[in-house]
Amino acid sequence: MKHHRLPATPDTVHWGYFSKTLEPKLTIRSGDTVTVESITHHANDDYNRMIKGDAAAEEIFLWTAEQKTMRRRGAGPETGPFRIGSGEGLGVHLLTGPIAVEGAEPGDVLEVRVLDAYPRPSANPDYAGRFFGSNPSANWGFQYHDLVEGPKPREVVTIYELDMQAPASVSALYSYLWTPQTDPDGVVHPTIDYPGVRVDHATITKKEGILPGVKVPARLHFGTMGLAPAEADFVSTIPPNYTGGNMDDWRIAKGARMYYPVAVAGALFSCGDAHATQGDSELSGTAVEISLTGEFEFILHKKADLGGTILEGLDHPLLETDKLWSVYGFSYARYLTELGPDHQQKILESSSLDRAMRDAFRKLRRFLMTVHKLSEDEAISLMSIAADFAVTQVVDANWGVTGSLRKSVFQGR
Amino acid sequence: MIYTLASASSQVQYGELSPSAGTPDVPAPAGEERMNIRQFASESYPQATRRSAWQDLLGELNLKSDQPGDHPQAFATAALRGSTEGLTLARLTAGDQTLRPLNQRARILAALLPLDEELTLRLDGAENKVPPGQLIILPTGAPWETGLQKSGRVIVLSGGERAFQGRRAGFRPATKPLILARQGVAAVLIRALEAGATELDQLSQTDWQALEQVYADLLLAVTSEAESLDAAATPGHAALFNRVTLSIEKHLQDPDLSASRIARLEGISDRYLQKLFEQNGESFGHYLRERRLQRARAALVAPGDIRTPVAEVAYNSGFGDAANFNRLFKERFGMPPGAFRSHHTDRAEIPATEQRGWPVKALAGKKPALRVEPSAGPGSFARPAEGATDHRLTATSQTVHWGYFSRSLRPVLEIEPGDTVEVETLTQHASDDPERMIKGDKSAEDVFFWSKDHKAVDRRGAGPIDASIFGRGAGEGFGVHICTGPIHVKGAEPGDVIEVRIDDIRPRLSGNPAFAGRCFGSNVAAWWGYHYGELLEEPKQRETVTIYEILADAGDGYAKALYSYRWAPQTDPYGVVHRTYDYPGVPVDPESVDLRLDPMPEVRIPLRPHFGVIALAPREVDLVDSVPPAYFGGNLDNWRLGRGSAIYLPVSVTGGLLSIGDPHATQGDSELSGTAIECSMTGRFTIQLHKKGGPLSDLTYPLIETPDEWILTGFSHPNYLAEFGATGQGEVYAKSSLDLAMKDAFRKARRFLMGTHGLDEDEAVSLMSAAVDFGVTQVVDGNWGVHAIIRKALFNR
Repeated sequence: MKHHRLPATPDTVHWGYFSKTLEPKLTIRSGDTVTVESITHHANDDYNRMIKGDAAAEEIFLWTAEQKTMRRRGAGPETGPFRIGSGEGLGVHLLTGPIAVEGAEPGDVLEVRVLDAYPRPSANPDYAGRFFGSNPSANWGFQYHDLVEGPKPREVVTIYELDMQAPASVSALYSYLWTPQTDPDGVVHPTIDYPGVRVDHATITKKEGILPGVKVPARLHFGTMGLAPAEADFVSTIPPNYTGGNMDDWRIAKGARMYYPVAVAGALFSCGDAHATQGDSELSGTAVEISLTGEFEFILHKKADLGGTILEGLDHPLLETDKLWSVYGFSYARYLTELGPDHQQKILESSSLDRAMRDAFRKLRRFLMTVHKLSEDEAISLMSIAADFAVTQVVDANWGVTGSLRKSVFQGR
Repeated sequence: MIYTLASASSQVQYGELSPSAGTPDVPAPAGEERMNIRQFASESYPQATRRSAWQDLLGELNLKSDQPGDHPQAFATAALRGSTEGLTLARLTAGDQTLRPLNQRARILAALLPLDEELTLRLDGAENKVPPGQLIILPTGAPWETGLQKSGRVIVLSGGERAFQGRRAGFRPATKPLILARQGVAAVLIRALEAGATELDQLSQTDWQALEQVYADLLLAVTSEAESLDAAATPGHAALFNRVTLSIEKHLQDPDLSASRIARLEGISDRYLQKLFEQNGESFGHYLRERRLQRARAALVAPGDIRTPVAEVAYNSGFGDAANFNRLFKERFGMPPGAFRSHHTDRAEIPATEQRGWPVKALAGKKPALRVEPSAGPGSFARPAEGATDHRLTATSQTVHWGYFSRSLRPVLEIEPGDTVEVETLTQHASDDPERMIKGDKSAEDVFFWSKDHKAVDRRGAGPIDASIFGRGAGEGFGVHICTGPIHVKGAEPGDVIEVRIDDIRPRLSGNPAFAGRCFGSNVAAWWGYHYGELLEEPKQRETVTIYEILADAGDGYAKALYSYRWAPQTDPYGVVHRTYDYPGVPVDPESVDLRLDPMPEVRIPLRPHFGVIALAPREVDLVDSVPPAYFGGNLDNWRLGRGSAIYLPVSVTGGLLSIGDPHATQGDSELSGTAIECSMTGRFTIQLHKKGGPLSDLTYPLIETPDEWILTGFSHPNYLAEFGATGQGEVYAKSSLDLAMKDAFRKARRFLMGTHGLDEDEAVSLMSAAVDFGVTQVVDGNWGVHAIIRKALFNR
């Protein structure tokens, strides 16, 4: 058992895509633990609080007319001419990794235990030791075409502060209406359409004193954790998938164990998109996006050893906590294969909770029948009276419904 | 106008695209954003502002409404696509009002297509009835009005002259109304409108633009057809003119295009060509210039052409000389082409702070927070307040109604606000094991009594009493729950809110000495369950009943499966055979089924005792199926409605008429198999009345309060009785969707945060994303549910 450290640097992060072609930044053995730093892709919503003075963040976000440290952002093309920029913003999350696990092969399952997660303090002396996050109500949010106040539509960024004093909580600092931002290459971003564009605070009007007195309990978690898919070389980080990715489930927090089907040799785990908190649905399109550092333990379960365990027949991400198991239903369980070559576009048009509920039902039924050896009738009765289905997110193209079952149901065993 | 982005290259959503990942090709401009769609639901707005919000929406269509009387609870939904620049298509659901043009003098076309209910058209003292499915094209500049009597859906298409300006034949407003049946080209237009209205939110911007063209062309076709029939003009005329204009369109780019060239191409004389134009009130030269200017104008701001130089646009539109083009363009549109383009782009990029139409004013002002005081937590059950009376309502065949709610039921108890009531409720599934759940229990024996000569509670469901539809039995099982009540709350009037607080809930013990002191419940995996259409094991399409024992005294209590059986055809005492679980309360003959003992031997289900149904009588129709929940409460099937919680329900009829039933020992979020553990329970309730005007007076839906949370109930169709009109009771089953329920829950949560907590919309949306949890309530009750959970601790200021 060895402990490793993977800091976030321009060399250890990739932006907006999963890829089986990436060189591992770290190779570990099953049983090893790793401290992984992540930096939120929304840090530039308030450069002063979330980037300034933080050498790693400054370098990663560096973008001038001459130089752009992280050129490719998204799974789109990296050769021009671009509509908006390299990678075309087709995928937005700044991920640290990938971490390769020795001996991992397709058909195996990788268990990732979240041992701890803690926030990255502001390195700007003006805000020393404080923690900030950003929550944009964005054009891909559920509210965008259904607003009651003007102007319509609009995007609004709310900056939050995280107070780690127990019980940790999050409070709003200020908000602003998104104004067209010109990036250093001269491209104007009338909406939030490309990650990491620095918001020029001279162009915005801050609204202070918002959500006065409102304290939201913190739910520190990583929105995106997952393995490289096998189907394509570059895959957008936005739609979650059978290998995990942008699950946006706040229950994947300290103490959680996530199980992912391995699709490529080495598994290639990456994580990022950290959140200070979010509600089930992530309604506005984002959570309180913040930079977190996580402590993870990795355990490889070989294909031959899965029978008779809770991992038998697992072909989707599974969450285990002390209290429950959750399966994840998606609008399309395997959108990369189900939707054909045009999957990146099609998944955006195919979002549906109805399909995600259907998928969650099927996965939970399979779990109860395969793992807990229930008959179909038993599984259905048990699901009706003891399983809880919730809306995970309605903003990540491939919408999600979780089906959760309390472990205490089986306490008699 | 709606905020549209001018440039395709900058309007991409995150992640929106494109060819498969990793291809080095330049992706095609997406231009796919569904920008100019608007959705409206009256549920988004506090009642006080609904009327103005509705008028604002109608204003987009150049319509206004005068709703008779004070109609705060008027229910309406709409989806609207388009802009004042072109055509606007809307699908409305609305009831009982008169629509008329907002601006009578404006030359704005309006076409109305009622889908469900007849429309009454009044103009110049004449009255016409327009049946559903026929299209009315209304005259411009005339004081027409159309009346909707009942709630139903209407498609509206409206557009100003500009929508037709670029058009070959031009728009000539009708002078009298056209009522078009589904025939010929009118049928094509009607179908196109229906299809467009259905797909409204699925169309990309490019799709919509294409559709707009189609509508404009079809409108011109139907109006000119009607006109030519009218004027008995030679139909050949119109066709020829049409051909000529098409030919012009084809050659627009040619700077040397002339009348004689077109005449030659079409094989007519120059003189005849001129005459054709004269008949249409035009001249060839003017028409050609107008078409070129219109083409240039469109190209200047077309998403794909935004970087095309102005001179090139001019050239492509058939202007040989850029200076001349600039001058003509400015004359025609009031500004030079370059300025026009940048003006358009600016406007698109920086949304206007105030917008025409929608109810910015109604909601923008920051309202003081109205504190709804959290009530006593669990354990501190409210004792009857001083002067309040404690009542007891036992379940008997005289105090229950089965499978329906009704505003005309005689109350079985009258109480004063503040009174407490102990109410017995019986599960309709007691007949799944009559030995354990009915036998020896006087109340249950009375309610379930059914011999070949007598049935104690005959009506079960809102269907016909003579069972003339399926022959299942009186009421047809259109609604299944045994409800105790109704209870009349003195002083309750429509617009008030009744609070039902559950002080205690306890399971009912078996009345059979053989099972003395024990308690049982039933879970049916029924044909209406979510799983039914896709069973894996054989036989497919089976129904399974599992009988559970409720062990309430062991710690927090749990349920344990005793035995299960597959449903076998049951013959009821009247001789009707029930091949499926299609009628409630049919006693199951244990000899007719194969019992499977001790399934899931080690599984223990934690208890969540609650009432599935708590309802006030709905106002829309007399007999309402008890299965689909809606604004009046009903079959909410939310397990949070247990001990220590309260529900607030809007009053629709005098006295409220409260009914309680469908008790559950426990269920999961979704109630997947169609039922919970259905188990008879007795509850203690404190009933309060909140008169109109208090902090709860904006409540139009069931609101649940637990000691720590507010739970808002979203439905696929928040008021399906109003939305679907007379046919609604059946239709809601076919049209349920979690996607719709999620939308409703979102709108209600926003309104709650804005109205009750005084947040503005941006604060509410951010807070919802950060702190509100949305869950699946049920997917089996016809009108599917998604709830929003708002933790009270968020506001412990």
